[in-house]
Amino acid sequence: MKKFKRISVLLLAMVLVIGLAACSGNKKANVGGNAANSESKKPSAEAGAIDTSEFVKISYVILGDKPKNGQFDAALKEVNKIMKEKINAELEWKWVEWADWQTKYNLLLASGEAIDLITIGTDWLDTWGNAQRGAFKNLDDLLPKYAPQTWESIPPENWAQSKYDGKIVLIPEDAYTQWVNHGFFYRGDWAKEAGITDPIKDWDGMEKYMQFVKDNKQGVIPWDSQGGTSTFGGWVQSYTGNLELPLSTGYLPVFASKSEDEKYTVVSPVFEDTMINFAAKMKSWADKGFWREDVLNYKGDTRTLLKGGLTGVDQHHTQTFATLRVDMDREQPGSELQMYPFSRTSGNLPELSITHGGTSLGAHSKNPERALMAYDLIRNDEKVYRLLNYGIEGVQYEIKDGKRVRPASYDPKQHEFYSDFWGGRVDKLEIPSDTTWDQVEETLYAEYDKIKKTYAYGQFVFDKTPIEAEFAAISQVTGEMGPAITYGKAGDPVKAVEAFRAKLKAAGYDKIMAELQKQLDAYKKLIEG
Amino acid sequence: MGTTRTKIRSDVSSNLVRGFGYAFIGVFGLICLLPFLLVVGTSLTSESSIARNGFNFWPRDFSTFAYKIVFENPDLIIGAYWVTFGITIVGTAAGLFLVAMTGYALQRPDFQYRNGISFIIYFTTLFSGGLVPFYLLITQYLNLKDNYLAVLLPGLMTPFLIIMMKSFVRSIPHAITESAKIDGAGDFRIFIRLILPMTTPALATIGLFIAIGYWNEWYHSMLFLSPDMQYRPLQLFLYTVITSADFIRSSSAASNVELRDLPLESMKMATAVVATGPVILFYPFVQRYFIKGITVGAVKG
Repeated sequence: MKKFKRISVLLLAMVLVIGLAACSGNKKANVGGNAANSESKKPSAEAGAIDTSEFVKISYVILGDKPKNGQFDAALKEVNKIMKEKINAELEWKWVEWADWQTKYNLLLASGEAIDLITIGTDWLDTWGNAQRGAFKNLDDLLPKYAPQTWESIPPENWAQSKYDGKIVLIPEDAYTQWVNHGFFYRGDWAKEAGITDPIKDWDGMEKYMQFVKDNKQGVIPWDSQGGTSTFGGWVQSYTGNLELPLSTGYLPVFASKSEDEKYTVVSPVFEDTMINFAAKMKSWADKGFWREDVLNYKGDTRTLLKGGLTGVDQHHTQTFATLRVDMDREQPGSELQMYPFSRTSGNLPELSITHGGTSLGAHSKNPERALMAYDLIRNDEKVYRLLNYGIEGVQYEIKDGKRVRPASYDPKQHEFYSDFWGGRVDKLEIPSDTTWDQVEETLYAEYDKIKKTYAYGQFVFDKTPIEAEFAAISQVTGEMGPAITYGKAGDPVKAVEAFRAKLKAAGYDKIMAELQKQLDAYKKLIEG
Repeated sequence: MGTTRTKIRSDVSSNLVRGFGYAFIGVFGLICLLPFLLVVGTSLTSESSIARNGFNFWPRDFSTFAYKIVFENPDLIIGAYWVTFGITIVGTAAGLFLVAMTGYALQRPDFQYRNGISFIIYFTTLFSGGLVPFYLLITQYLNLKDNYLAVLLPGLMTPFLIIMMKSFVRSIPHAITESAKIDGAGDFRIFIRLILPMTTPALATIGLFIAIGYWNEWYHSMLFLSPDMQYRPLQLFLYTVITSADFIRSSSAASNVELRDLPLESMKMATAVVATGPVILFYPFVQRYFIKGITVGAVKG
């Protein structure tokens, strides 16, 4: 019995120690020793010539569902012929599918598996958090030698935005134009009928248009939306100078920064008249019947309905608009789909962060040199670039008058191709496609170029840890009460907003506010020195 | 008895209770059935009708298009079925044997360290190492990534089931084991020839729990089986079909994602029907065994 007691006490102590170690261990899951120690095995690199005598496999972690029709594999095979010949290596795509991608992506990085290249995005893939946990190799010494073209083509100020703790940890996708600012899409032909000849430039213009649709188009719901889409962020963009912060409070943004001039001051549009005005406007839209009575439970797909001529408005970002316009010209000839970007009213338009897409190198990569050489080819070699982004010429596309078009033999199911490569596309190697509206540059992009402002929060590393619980609670509240306010189904707007604010306060709004301000003050020091 | 059946005299109140019971259970059964009917109805509706009228129990605009798409790659679903069946059968058999052995051994009074070991097993029900260490164990130390064992092993022994088995074995007198020992039987023979037959109700219950666990298992498959594998368990297959479409449609975070032609509502539902249909057909025939096991287990345990 005595013996048993001693053993169980020992065991208990052991278990407790292990348990505690495991609990605190997920903060710094730097498994397999220190990343910096994994120096390359070949000292010959110093001799100037790069040794590629040994054939290696390079993995590239990509977000997306693995294509099932074999078209991607065929293109990758062609790429690997070039890779073999130029750098004696072979690429393989490692897909992280959308089902629970966040968990899997972060686990992959935390596990210390030997991954080479990996897609990153500072605003949606927790890249700074992972850098903090030592998941990426630092690239300062490797880049000039092994990815010279990439190194040359990216200006120093952009490298500066790719640093964590003074070390380059990622290669930004900084030479690719894409606009993901949101706005309303509406039909140009119906707007003309309504007597709206100039492009719509505010929400009142949208109201006028929707009222016309309501009154004159039988069987059409002006904006057949569903409760899952929030437009409050758009309203804030239209009627204030507030800037969006790189953190999500769920259904609608509760926090923002004050303005371009005071970008380090936290404000909350929810606690200003902004929200009251928005709620009142949405209530009036609901009462006018611009959407369904059961909008909050409705599950229809607005975009499909728009293409079917059953609704007159849709809401998404510019990139979506550019392809939707082409679809609409085909499905609803003469519809002349237009976009009213929310920024048009106020001129409040930050550029997309250059680190919204990009590529990093896993800390435990076995062949960092060859991985970077492969990346240099993907980003700069025209042949490789086209194969990986567009597929095989003659199967997936043909070039006609400088545009990518589908070959006659193209069958959408059989030949569909995507690689989900978002880690370093460049405008100069892009071929415009006939599925993208060819006037988007001269119209919307040109308008944006006049008002765009540099993105201010590219290096802001939001640390959630001190306010994790409050943050979760706030997101819960926005998801619970946001939809009803957004679609005017919460009764008296002023009362509804007040109730919403009270709930947010109870969920820990003030604590988050203080913490955010503290972090932005620190960020200001970092940026302005 | 004989030719005339004696009727138990029924008064108003017991009739009332009975009527209420039937009504309640009937309504409850209907509530359980309705979602499934909705799925079936929607899967047979054309996509444009869903967009216009939403889901419905009775297809307004009948179409089998979704099933055509689903059965374009029937081997994926069939493969998923095989994987799930395989894991469930192997896992249940092995898991049941291990749990029974553990439960029995921990109950033997002549086993010196039984309390210490029991404590270690209970302890894990209170604290868990967390996801990251678990992931590391499976992928780095056991090297089981993309291996069906990664799904099979974690479900083999559940502390709760071991406790259940242990408390059941407690009702069998230790004298049986001792007398068998005197007759010269070894421990394994005692366990297999004497103990197991006496614990069949418990085995049925525990086996059911393990089997349901494996059949519905998708989380470990999601973590450890990458898309590079040709066939993955059924539930994960379903989960990916449904979530990825939702994700791409609703997410503005990954605004890089091009909106490709996504699996449509009707197709999701058709996949769900194909994946659950055979089980529904198969279930009524085995249900009575389950119920027996659970009730007996409840009375005894």
